Amino acid sequence: MGDIKWETDLQAALALAEKSHKPVYLDFWFDG
Amino acid sequence: MNAGPYSDKKVQEYLQAEFIPVKSQCFWDKRTDAMKRFIVSWTPTLIVLDAQGKEHHRIVGFVPTDDFMANLKLGKGKEFFDRFRFADANKAFRALIEQHPNAGVVPEAVFYTGVTDYWSSHDPKGLRRAYDTLTARFPQSEWARRAEPYGQIPL
Repeated sequence: MGDIKWETDLQAALALAEKSHKPVYLDFWFDG
Repeated sequence: MNAGPYSDKKVQEYLQAEFIPVKSQCFWDKRTDAMKRFIVSWTPTLIVLDAQGKEHHRIVGFVPTDDFMANLKLGKGKEFFDRFRFADANKAFRALIEQHPNAGVVPEAVFYTGVTDYWSSHDPKGLRRAYDTLTARFPQSEWARRAEPYGQIPL
């Protein structure tokens, strides 16, 4: 995943977004 | 997975600096709660959300690096726009146009610079300038047609 630190828990990410005043970038991916 | 735009150093730095990046795996035979919540029917589906989980921009399908970066900036601008932060939105749209002049979303960004110029100044000339730019540079785009009413505004 390169140098990107990905979150996997959306609720935790939303809380982080609130705290950091940043938007969330949500990637829906399929391993197929 | 380290392919496509995510393997680009600039993309990595921009995503990490400007967003909280989240990955959500899709299972077509057993749709996840997140897939149901955001009505995901194809991948990749890439969404910009605010901290309340409201959607502001969506990309469906693969986009190459330059278009990807432009879409991230458009999403950021639209998130500002939807929260009435018009000066910040305008700055994001203008940066996108300057830094990614050949990206597919540039006509949409031009349209929104006109709208955010208007909201910031209450001077309709910004709308007319957006119309002029769209008809000159992107006459076939949907956004040129959306701006058509602004062609009547005197400069």
